[in-house]
Amino acid sequence: MPRVKTAKEEPEQQSANPYLPVSTKITSFKRESSDCFMIRIDFKTKHDPGQFVQLTLPGIGEAPISIASYSQEFMDLNIREVGNVTKALSKMKKGDTLFVRGPYGKGYPMDKLFGKELIVIGGGSGVAPLKGILSYVDKHKNNFGEVSLYFGFRTPEDILFKDEMRQWRNKYNLNLSVDKNPNKARISCDVCFITNLIEKAKLNPENKIVFICGPPMMMNITISILKNKGFKEEQIYVSTERLMQCALGICGHCMIHGKYTCLDGPVFRYDEIGQYTND
Amino acid sequence: MLKINKASFNDFLLDLMRYNELIAPVKTDESRFELVKDIKQIEISLHTYFPVKKLFFRKHQTMFSFDKNKLAEPETSAEKKQRVIVGLKRCDLNSIRRQDIMFMKDTKDPYYKEERDRTILVGYNCKEPFDEYCFCSSMDLGDYYDLMLYDKDDAYLVEIGSEKGRNFVDRYRKYFWDTELFLRPEDRRIETKLQLDKRDIKEYYNHPDWKKMVDICFSCAACVTLCPSCYCFDIHDEVDATLNKGERKRNWAACQLPCFTKVAGGHVFRSTREDRFKHRIYHQLQYFKDRHGMTLCTGCGRCIRGCPTRINFVKGINEMKLEK
Repeated sequence: MPRVKTAKEEPEQQSANPYLPVSTKITSFKRESSDCFMIRIDFKTKHDPGQFVQLTLPGIGEAPISIASYSQEFMDLNIREVGNVTKALSKMKKGDTLFVRGPYGKGYPMDKLFGKELIVIGGGSGVAPLKGILSYVDKHKNNFGEVSLYFGFRTPEDILFKDEMRQWRNKYNLNLSVDKNPNKARISCDVCFITNLIEKAKLNPENKIVFICGPPMMMNITISILKNKGFKEEQIYVSTERLMQCALGICGHCMIHGKYTCLDGPVFRYDEIGQYTND
Repeated sequence: MLKINKASFNDFLLDLMRYNELIAPVKTDESRFELVKDIKQIEISLHTYFPVKKLFFRKHQTMFSFDKNKLAEPETSAEKKQRVIVGLKRCDLNSIRRQDIMFMKDTKDPYYKEERDRTILVGYNCKEPFDEYCFCSSMDLGDYYDLMLYDKDDAYLVEIGSEKGRNFVDRYRKYFWDTELFLRPEDRRIETKLQLDKRDIKEYYNHPDWKKMVDICFSCAACVTLCPSCYCFDIHDEVDATLNKGERKRNWAACQLPCFTKVAGGHVFRSTREDRFKHRIYHQLQYFKDRHGMTLCTGCGRCIRGCPTRINFVKGINEMKLEK
């Protein structure tokens, strides 16, 4: 399977003006938790898992959103309400129009990792881009070894992709945790930080690749645990968050020690940015 | 070699003004590149306080306008006159080269390109450093111009640097004379007193001496505003009272301000002045060089000249000792 071409290799697919988004429609809207929702948009394009798009609501602004699917027929975006644009998006419904440009950035280099066993670690809305990996793995089952998932959420109510979780539990080695359970919900997962589960797990670094996406604190702790278990920085891929405005490697906001998150990332092999994760 | 006699230089400029917008260093309250209305204003050898970048990479740029769910690009006026900028110093020309890389190499920025395409760059080679803050001779600046003027006695020797420049000379051929005079190497390059010794600063990232400079930094962002190469920008939407109509705009941004790296939710990645100060210097001297083979900094000295506390990062870096 050849690597799908990224937006950068096919610059003519949109308008000649790289800043101008195209119109698209919301084909489904699903609330996932109190502050997260999933929209599917009618935007057909080739992309890698881990890439992102820029969504525009005219008059509100533009926000980078990572792609939570792997399909050329549609695009799923899991969105957390944290800023102006995402709050306005949360009030939209099926059939509404919004504007999109992309996909941008480098995703997970899945085709270079054939034959590896995967460890996928996500925290909160950081699970969204990792969902694209699992869609990819579904389509290329025979190319990967065992897949282990470690997903952590704040409370049982915050757990995303509940339907998919059931399938993933059957297919993969799923480890789920919630930080706390204030409403005493009946749950079949551990109540602890996801990092505690990783600490306890018997993980052998051999032939493994780790994908991490989550809050900065959770990623930093996870990486130090993995390093103690003998994992090398080259085995770890992180998906980073920065302020991104142009998404074309010009505006400068997303720079991490000379690397543009929107061009060279948002997925980095950990040794590429290593000590500069707070830059 | 071609020359223009200084005696006929004003006639040449007047002729230019008839069909072109003429822009040159002008001194008013401060010195800047301005549209010339009266050629007496021009001080061709002046090293302007404000950079030339505003003429290509505008401070405020409308990217597109919207009306509910209809987007429209700004109309490009084919009527715009050709522009001639006279009196660009070698540092200015090299900073235009850096911005050309950012806005025209990989990504074709339509707003920048429109302004750039209608402009002819006429340089003026400094005879001596403008002041003690210039350090261009330590920055490996290249030739990047349509025409370059070298001040020699009663004439300007003219070097042509591009096809555009050649066509321009052909159009105004009556002012250009062939001459036996020639340029010596020392005519091309001047020696500045201030020299940046250590241009490879990779190893210095955790050096304690950064603190000396950061301690007197206000994080006011004058340095990046005055930098002729700095190209970072913000994008935001502006709406009218109906909340339906409006424009998406881009403005100059400053990496020295905390909001530059603030993400939704409020986290600021480069939250300390030291982080931001080092980011500027590393972007200028290392990051851009790693990507494009040349430093972003062209040694014009504007960031030192315009700094309220005159932080001389060149001296600061020169004084750093590598302690391993």
